[in-house]
Amino acid sequence: MKPFEKILTKNMSNPQYTGSLQDYEATGGYQALKKVLAGVPQNDIIEMVKKSGLRGRGGAGFPTGVKWSFLPKDYQGPKYLCCNADESEPGTFKDRQLMERDPHQMLEGMAITCYTIGAEIGYIYIRGEFRFGAKVLERAIEEAKQAGHLGVNVHGSGVTINLYVHAGAGAYICGEETALLESLEGKRGKPRVKPPFPATHGLYQKPTVVNNVETLANIPHIVSRGPEWFAAIGAPPKSTGTRVFCLSGHVKNPGNYELPVNATFRDLIEELGGGMRSDKPMKAFIPGGASAPFLTPKHIDVAMDFESVAMAGSMSGSGGVTVMEEGTSMVWAALRLMEFFYHESCGKCTPCREGSSWIVQILQRIQNKQGRQGDLDTLSEICKNIGGRTVCAFGDAEIAPVQSTLQYWRHEYEALIQEAEALRATRKEKEIPVLSL
Amino acid sequence: MATTKTKKMVTVSIDGKSIEVPEGTLVIEAARQVGVMVPHFCYHPKLEPDANCRMCLVEIEKIPKLQTSCSTRVADGMVVRSSVPHVETARKSVLELLLGNHPLDCPVCDQGGRCDLQDFSHEYTMGSRFTELKRVFPKEHLSPLIETQMNRCVSCMRCVRYCDEVMDAKALAPVGRGTMTKISHWAGNELECDFCGGCIQICPVGAITSRLSMYDFRPWMLKRAETICNFCGDGCQMTVQRKDEDLIEVNSTLGAGRNDGDLCARGYFGYHANVHADRLMHPLIRQADGSFEEVTWEEALERAADQFAQIKAAHGADAIGGLITARCTNEELYAFQKFMRGVIGTNNVDSSARYGYINGVKALQRVQGIHRWAVTFDDIVEADVVVLVGTSITETNPITGLKIKQGIKKNGAKLITLETAIPAFSTISNITTLATHHLTVLPGCFGAAVLGVIKGLVEQNLVNERVSSQASDFATTIIAAVEKISWQEIQQSVGLSLEQCHAAAQTISQAERVVVLAGQGVLRATGGEGIVTNLLDLLILAGHHGNEGSGVGVLAEENNEQGAIEMGVVTEYLPGPTKADDQTTQTMLAKVWGRDVPSTPGATMVEMLDRARQGTMKAMFIVGENPLESLPPDAKVSEALDALECLVCQELYLTETAKKAHVVFPASSAVEKDGTFTNTEGFVQSVRKSLDPLGESLPDWEIFSALSVLMNSPMEYGEVKEIFKEIRGVIPQYGLLGPTSTPHVVNAEILAQYLREGFKEDVEVRYTIPQKAAKSEGALTLVLGQSIYHSGKFTTRSKGLSQIQESGVLNVNPDDATRIGVEDGASLRLSNGHGEVTVPVKLVDRIPLGVAWFPEHFDQELRALFSLTVDKRNHVPCWKTTEVQATRVS
Ligand SMILES: Cc1cc2nc3c(=O)[nH]c(=O)nc-3n(C[C@H](O)[C@H](O)[C@H](O)COP(=O)(O)O)c2cc1C
Ligand code: SF4
Ligand code: SF4
Ligand code: SF4
Ligand code: SF4
Ligand code: FES
Repeated sequence: MKPFEKILTKNMSNPQYTGSLQDYEATGGYQALKKVLAGVPQNDIIEMVKKSGLRGRGGAGFPTGVKWSFLPKDYQGPKYLCCNADESEPGTFKDRQLMERDPHQMLEGMAITCYTIGAEIGYIYIRGEFRFGAKVLERAIEEAKQAGHLGVNVHGSGVTINLYVHAGAGAYICGEETALLESLEGKRGKPRVKPPFPATHGLYQKPTVVNNVETLANIPHIVSRGPEWFAAIGAPPKSTGTRVFCLSGHVKNPGNYELPVNATFRDLIEELGGGMRSDKPMKAFIPGGASAPFLTPKHIDVAMDFESVAMAGSMSGSGGVTVMEEGTSMVWAALRLMEFFYHESCGKCTPCREGSSWIVQILQRIQNKQGRQGDLDTLSEICKNIGGRTVCAFGDAEIAPVQSTLQYWRHEYEALIQEAEALRATRKEKEIPVLSL
Repeated sequence: MATTKTKKMVTVSIDGKSIEVPEGTLVIEAARQVGVMVPHFCYHPKLEPDANCRMCLVEIEKIPKLQTSCSTRVADGMVVRSSVPHVETARKSVLELLLGNHPLDCPVCDQGGRCDLQDFSHEYTMGSRFTELKRVFPKEHLSPLIETQMNRCVSCMRCVRYCDEVMDAKALAPVGRGTMTKISHWAGNELECDFCGGCIQICPVGAITSRLSMYDFRPWMLKRAETICNFCGDGCQMTVQRKDEDLIEVNSTLGAGRNDGDLCARGYFGYHANVHADRLMHPLIRQADGSFEEVTWEEALERAADQFAQIKAAHGADAIGGLITARCTNEELYAFQKFMRGVIGTNNVDSSARYGYINGVKALQRVQGIHRWAVTFDDIVEADVVVLVGTSITETNPITGLKIKQGIKKNGAKLITLETAIPAFSTISNITTLATHHLTVLPGCFGAAVLGVIKGLVEQNLVNERVSSQASDFATTIIAAVEKISWQEIQQSVGLSLEQCHAAAQTISQAERVVVLAGQGVLRATGGEGIVTNLLDLLILAGHHGNEGSGVGVLAEENNEQGAIEMGVVTEYLPGPTKADDQTTQTMLAKVWGRDVPSTPGATMVEMLDRARQGTMKAMFIVGENPLESLPPDAKVSEALDALECLVCQELYLTETAKKAHVVFPASSAVEKDGTFTNTEGFVQSVRKSLDPLGESLPDWEIFSALSVLMNSPMEYGEVKEIFKEIRGVIPQYGLLGPTSTPHVVNAEILAQYLREGFKEDVEVRYTIPQKAAKSEGALTLVLGQSIYHSGKFTTRSKGLSQIQESGVLNVNPDDATRIGVEDGASLRLSNGHGEVTVPVKLVDRIPLGVAWFPEHFDQELRALFSLTVDKRNHVPCWKTTEVQATRVS
């Protein structure tokens, strides 16, 4: 692995770094904000971010500068920035660390973004369980306000920027940007039908930008060091910069690791993660959070940027890499993930709501050795009928574990079903008649 | 009439059929227009797209994924396919998924036979591979009237969205996640809401049903009649359904009627009021001992005819008076006044329009020369600004209220409320929460509030230039008149500030289409005609009056008050309405009727009762009207009725008034007869019979007709249509059913006359704030008002509505309650010079400080605390507000 410079976790890598305003300022913090407020035209910042190649770190990888440019230009009336800190994807835990350990980095990013898009208010929608993180942020906002980095007339620029922390109430779906907006408005967290997109009809139907914590944390660095510097890192032109990858599962050293976006899974798992936790070899890994289809050891040398992982048939999503060793039941793994999705489906769309419950029940049966011939075809069919047919991307996410385990480890399912058939034969158990209408 | 703003047209092709539709049309709607029915659950034309059921997926060329046609809007050149194989597969899949968790209890489901899930399954599915466990919700109690069967729910959220978007009640919510999502009221409490029944009607399956008809029928057993509701002036079209001779349920059809398929609690749950077991089934004659005896029709009719004839012979026709309820059909109202005028020979004829509606119609007539609104419900929906003055619109005219909600929600209209209720949220809708400017006005103060707004307009120099130049006398007079009123006076009288009135006036001035609606608070007040006239002045000064889409409407509380006035069932009007002393009309009617038309001026309701007490009125014929329970004891109705030599009542029920009668005729209810009603905005609509008359009861017109025969002056009508034909001949506006053929335009000549001369007559009076006695320390203003759940005393007999509200509870502001030291559910003793009454109390946020509100439907005891004032101009009996001291009952 080539040597590289950490960007987002550089400060916190120093054991003495406390994340206080003083510490942050000592590393050059809030200089970028001062610089832009001193008179960098908003459009120039958008162009800068476009040029940097920064893409959203929340999962979808949408180019950040382009997203900002979608806001109506001459809009009269309030606009909003929402920081998506709902991080609830299984296997993803980077935002939490970025917020808890270096809150000002993200706050500065938010302040610059607010100025850029013309928002006087920025909300941080933080996962309800992150009580500590919320406290850290609230304290940091207070500090920044006292220091004049936030509030009315920031650094004499006439610009008002107020940031607020809003805690979620424990629903994964509220990480989906439009569900987040609904929840922030005090409604039930259910995704909205798009279009219209948040850029024109966001929070309270006003133009709104929703960005992930990590995305926003990159902004001060891009402003300070220039887009060219950022764009040179990673796999330009499409995937640039670094990412904080979350490594978990059967590895020696699970944790957050910042790497250039195009580092390979081998770099992460073997070099930084210290490889497998025991002598059992790797069997499978999830490359980008629970919503990403499983990959196999033969994909270990794939680079982790958006394009490369997509080429390999999965997605780099939220950057959560979960590794499983030989001996792990893939049916069980799929079931476990599916139970999560069933629990978290908001229930808005028929395919996702009903499909997740049906799939879970079939998987449970198979796992409990009550599978039947035909179950696998039914599973595939249900998945096909969910994919692409729902309001939000959750529908596509929830079928990923089932479809990918069926693709690579179908034999494990078949073996369990055969066992069930054999058991049935000995017990002469009656087939449950199939319902027909 | 409303104009729809013109939109760009685009061409789309759906299943090979091309069509031009306005830009922005939903694909599913465009498809319907070419005859392609895309199956759907969550889509509903009244609701914003939610695209949750995924049933309506279609293929759109150049878009890779299937799209929901209920949320996708057409674009020019769009090519849509709705019946290609993979679209069908997607539909089948949605059905298979829905059926997976569906209990399939069709045999006991009230929706069976008219269920979208059944119908689509029948059309698309072969079977389901689902063999797992179905979810099961434990049975939960939602309400005595509305039942949820959550196992049947397909989570389309139509009920919730309807309740939010259309009703603005927000009483329902999904609770739980995923497949375990269920529809519930807040915190699982028993449902408290508008009880419009909309959620039941809009549910595509049988997941929300009415407990009134639960398990009573299969849809195909029901016989249907399209008719008009008889509970308020909105005139909703509804379908009354019966099984054999039992009323089973009422529902409405999307897009049909002035209500466009919406109903209110009274319409949806109140229908049994018409057929309660207490209905009078036989004619009655009072015996010497005071009891009633059932008699034959012949005996009863002869007794009444003889009495009327004797009294007429002895004392003259003017010793007889007639009073009828405006709940009757036009035909009956017309026949009644013809009977009184032509057969008896007196102008002593009046109706419940006297309770206030007459004030409104007279003002409209006076200023604009037409006795109908110059605007329609559609104009309310399209208005930029709606001004409500003393309407309690959701309670009194719920559907007119929905038009306003629609205007606000769909078209961004602004609302100004001069109302007693204050903006406070609950799960019963409250129109003032939607107001841009809310001005709290206590009953009795609406006149002063209107003057405040006019003053606000004048002071900000917002009087329209055209008006001040072309009607300079009018403008300067009014300007001078309001300048004489001080803000201090206004503040003292209604508690409104300069800022509030200025803001409201500015909003009115800036808009283009302004609709002003005046309700019972204005119409039943002394000087009510003057207040409505001032509202017309306001619109004139602001430059809106006479413009398309702008105008003043007055709201009828009863279903046919507009008709009653047009049929000439108020003393001062002949059919038309034309003035009773108008000789051309008298001559015309004399010709049509073949009888003389009396020329002596008649007595109004209050005058008739006065004369009865004085002994000059000897007999009264009271049809469906109940003055004894509609006026306070202070009006001495009881004494008046007791003094009559002959009282003939024609009624559905033995009311307190009817109990004093010498002869009682059993009449048929609105569901047992044909005819027409004219709603508050002037739409003439057909009432159709759904049941045969109960017992021996007869439609009112048949009774009048029979009586006229016995009085040797036969009004021979074979069927009700013949009366309508006669009405048509007499009142040209009744040439057609439905909307009058032309919009009701202001008569320019009359308006000009008003602006030149007419306004002067009473301008001083109208522009003076009446002296108000100062309220005594700690006193509450006790108000009798209309509840959302009842219509007069009539619906207290409805088995549905009585389950929501079966008695009166005094509503007070929580802060007043704290001051008095009374808790929710406890009792208060109300007292004043008239007496003392103890009532249970409920704390209600929307009641302003210093007010105690009580539903008039249950005012039996409370009436004693009120005193009657008779409006000088139109003899309207005013009495619904009084002052009381309230003390805790320990
Ligand atoms: C089911 C679902 C859950 C999501 N959860 C998160 C989340 O927890 N945090 C996040 O930043 N983005 C999440 N996203 C992605 C957001 O919708 C959105 O794309 C992102 O916040 C945009 O920010 P970015 O452009 O900075 O990545 C989720 C998306 C879906 C469909
Ligand atoms: S796909 Fe699932 S999570 Fe997303 S809106 Fe539909 S039901 Fe909700
Ligand atoms: S107001 Fe009541 S009856 Fe009407 S839709 Fe809402 S919950 Fe249903
Ligand atoms: S109760 Fe009926 S209308 Fe409401 S969500 Fe369920 S199926 Fe839809
Ligand atoms: S009472 Fe009025 S609003 Fe209610 S259904 Fe009847 S006509 Fe309609
Ligand atoms: S009708 Fe379109 S998704 Fe339900």
